Amino acid sequence: MIAPQPPRWARNVLRLLHPGNTLEETEGDLDELYAYWYRRSGKAQALLRYVLNVFSVLPPFVRRRQDASESDQPFPLNPDMLKNYFKIAWRNIVRQKVYSGLNIAGLSIGMACSILILLWVQNELSYDRFHEKAGQLYRLTCNAGDFKAAVTPAGLARGLQQQMPQIEASVRLSKPVTSLFEAGDKKFEEKRVFFADSNFLSVFSFPLLKGNAATALSDPGALLITDEMAAKYFGNEDALGKILRRNNGENLKVAGVLANARANSHLQFDFIIPMSNLARTDNDLKTDTWGNFNFYTYFQLAENADRSVPGLHKLTARMFEIYKAHGQTLKIGFQLQPLTDIHLHSDLQIDLAGHGNIQYVNIFFVVAIFILVVACINFMNLATARSERRAKEVGLRKVVGAGRYQLVLQFLGESLIFSFLSLFIAVGMVVLMLPVFKMLTEKALTIHLLDGKLWASLSGIAVLTGLISGSYPALFLSGFAPVKVLKGKIRVAGANLFFRNGLVVAQFVVAIVLLVGTAVVYKQLNFIKNRNLGFDKSNLLYVPMTGEIGAKKQSLKGALSQDPLTANFSIISDLPTALVSGTTDLEWPGQVARNEVIIPSLDVDENFVSVFKTRVLAGRGFSRAFSGDSSSYIINEKAMQIMGMNLANAVGQDIVFSETKGRIIGVVKDFHFKSLQYAVEPLVLRLNKWGGFVIVRTQAGSNEAAIAALENINRQLNPAYPFTYGFLDKDLDNLYRSEKQMGDIFNLFAGLAVFISCLGLYGLSAFMAEQRNKEIGVRKVLGATVAGVVALLSQDFLKLILIAIVVASPIAWFAMDKWLQDFAYQTSIDWWVFVLAGILAASIALITVSFQSIRAALMNPVKSLRSE
Amino acid sequence: MRRTYLGEFEELVLLMIAILDGQAYGMTVSQEIEQHTGRIVTLGAIHNTLIRLEEKGFVKSELGGATMERGGRRKRLFRITALGSGAARDIQQLRSKLWEMLPDQTFKFSSI
Repeated sequence: MIAPQPPRWARNVLRLLHPGNTLEETEGDLDELYAYWYRRSGKAQALLRYVLNVFSVLPPFVRRRQDASESDQPFPLNPDMLKNYFKIAWRNIVRQKVYSGLNIAGLSIGMACSILILLWVQNELSYDRFHEKAGQLYRLTCNAGDFKAAVTPAGLARGLQQQMPQIEASVRLSKPVTSLFEAGDKKFEEKRVFFADSNFLSVFSFPLLKGNAATALSDPGALLITDEMAAKYFGNEDALGKILRRNNGENLKVAGVLANARANSHLQFDFIIPMSNLARTDNDLKTDTWGNFNFYTYFQLAENADRSVPGLHKLTARMFEIYKAHGQTLKIGFQLQPLTDIHLHSDLQIDLAGHGNIQYVNIFFVVAIFILVVACINFMNLATARSERRAKEVGLRKVVGAGRYQLVLQFLGESLIFSFLSLFIAVGMVVLMLPVFKMLTEKALTIHLLDGKLWASLSGIAVLTGLISGSYPALFLSGFAPVKVLKGKIRVAGANLFFRNGLVVAQFVVAIVLLVGTAVVYKQLNFIKNRNLGFDKSNLLYVPMTGEIGAKKQSLKGALSQDPLTANFSIISDLPTALVSGTTDLEWPGQVARNEVIIPSLDVDENFVSVFKTRVLAGRGFSRAFSGDSSSYIINEKAMQIMGMNLANAVGQDIVFSETKGRIIGVVKDFHFKSLQYAVEPLVLRLNKWGGFVIVRTQAGSNEAAIAALENINRQLNPAYPFTYGFLDKDLDNLYRSEKQMGDIFNLFAGLAVFISCLGLYGLSAFMAEQRNKEIGVRKVLGATVAGVVALLSQDFLKLILIAIVVASPIAWFAMDKWLQDFAYQTSIDWWVFVLAGILAASIALITVSFQSIRAALMNPVKSLRSE
Repeated sequence: MRRTYLGEFEELVLLMIAILDGQAYGMTVSQEIEQHTGRIVTLGAIHNTLIRLEEKGFVKSELGGATMERGGRRKRLFRITALGSGAARDIQQLRSKLWEMLPDQTFKFSSI
């Protein structure tokens, strides 16, 4: 018997709407029921009930069966699938060589830049962390108002330690003392010479290679030298116990050989002499003064001492109490500076040279990330732009059962392959570029290629880059609907275009910000270089007066004035590059409060005004014609203002400076005697009675001859000392070396960021030109000119660059304005800087795009149109 | 342990599955309920209840037993689980306990 069949339309409705996983059983049940009703109640009744029952199993009435067990997804990381993924990835890389090349080049350059910058950042951050007790070590610094200094009085360290149980140990270090050392026939002037307390080696972790660490610094007639110096003076011989003659006078025995000072230590020394040696002659040490600020003091705090910020505040407050109780009237503040902060967080005067700047570390860290982001954006852009090529693959994979997450995994995996390929190339680039970068930064940067930690962090960067750059293409591609894709109906959606344009804009924002930054840094450096310092800095040759020459001042003066090359000379106590002296000891008539301002002083001779070409605003300079000048003072404008005087009444006033009474005989126009990061400070000029530096103003072009003449004079008067000299303008330029370095590095990375962006743009324009192939053909047939077509293809990109300029300008302005605030004298950030950076970026972009657009425009339209 | 709620119709379907003993699928359950209770139920109601019972763990199912009448389509055959029979027995015990607690006049009233 043939079972009666239910109406086909009702069954079709059922098949269309009933959930797929229960269709078979439900359809069968309904068929059986229909046959049953048909037999029992006839066709009409059966039909009615059948339709009713069909509706009862249609949505929204039907309950869906949840079963995953029936058709399990295969394990996505099946080895066969993995093999296939790799194969497809490799084929794609090989087939689209230009595109893959652009991608890998962009990514690897970006990574190489970031690795270089991060190496530098890591080096900056590693300073002084190698000391075993780094966490307990602090440097005592002080400030009087805005004047912050790294030095403290000689007697303070022990005085404080005695009264504060929190201080476990204290070490004092002198300022570096340039000394002449001699061993056998070897004789050199050394600059990195320090006097240190005997516990120097137990507080700091500087390894002693030879000698007894416990007693090394206890004998005042001994000294420690570094390995490098041992080789320099004694060659292959054992340096221990050998004699070094210092300043042609005392003989010091080498009591130990230190390892060379590590590059990432803020203390850079070659010789350490016991403090007890200096104590024989130094007045500060003899009197254990609490008033003269001349030594660097380091404290080792107890392990259980409260070293939080408020805890340290309490300690410094207590220090000030002790200081006041000692009878000091100076109004100063004390700070405990963590040892590990010294390199990056110091903005102190009278400090050891060579400090870094945390701001630059931050800036470059951000730059590193930006460059990496720019490279990632390249990848995203090219991958999505070319997605049509992969669309059919995605469609087919979906048809044969790929889930979306499988596709996401596949594309992410592909971008990871790209990023790891790039990583290896990047590491190669880093190894090649490191010597150049080392020269640029003047840092001892190294990359240890066998270091597991390094590779772990590099892999981290690669994974991050791969995931970030792969995420958008992966999500975008895996979202294709298979039917549409396989019918060939896929068109790049508007949202996708918008996103891509946004990415291009972001890239150029970064590039333009970096370009503006470079321009402003160079502008500021130029501004500083060309700023009128208040004296003429060109052609000023100086020779330090060392050794016996101090005692032979009269014969020196005679010798200098006899030679016309050196006749225009002056003797000055300190060079006006980075003056480090200062006292608060100044009294003037009508003074309200004492000891409020730090006043530097400079000892000059009668020729100062004429040699330096400074301007005397009131009164006169020192002169031999006036016998009483040895107790007279000249002040600068700033000092005059501080003392509440004016040009009319300043001359003739009596002041007490450094406990010496004298009369003001002149006021000079302000001139700079420190880095332009500081505003001009008050200054008192005294008549030079001892020495310092001989400064000669030479004639332009006769420098060589003048140097020869000076060397000759030195040989006659000071045969035991080697001749050294310098140019003041070069020293002044050196003050801004770290800024110049930053400018150079910035310039390099701005260039690279632009280059990487252009790689992306090149790929994108190639893609665009290819897509609009037919359009261009039709336009040309209808009479469009080559120029017209190029303009058409370029204008889209130009619009994006314009948007980028608008977005980047305020960001760049804000960032650079902040940087400039570090300087007391700032250049202006002019509008033309932005215009220049914008035009530069736009023209580079246009040139890049034009490669493709001109080629597209020149193509014979027959080629692009004949196939249709 | 939280007792799973069993509705009146669910209980009916569950009992039918137990009675049909391996022959329970959508069509037979619906036919039996119609025959024994006189209620006219839609397949949709049965279908949903079966799925719900399976989700609650009272019954389990497997596909099988294709016949000519159904055009060769497989049936989903249901079988009661231990949990299901336990739940049915619990309800039965609760009922009889409650019945015993009824005072006598209730019968009188109900018999009027």
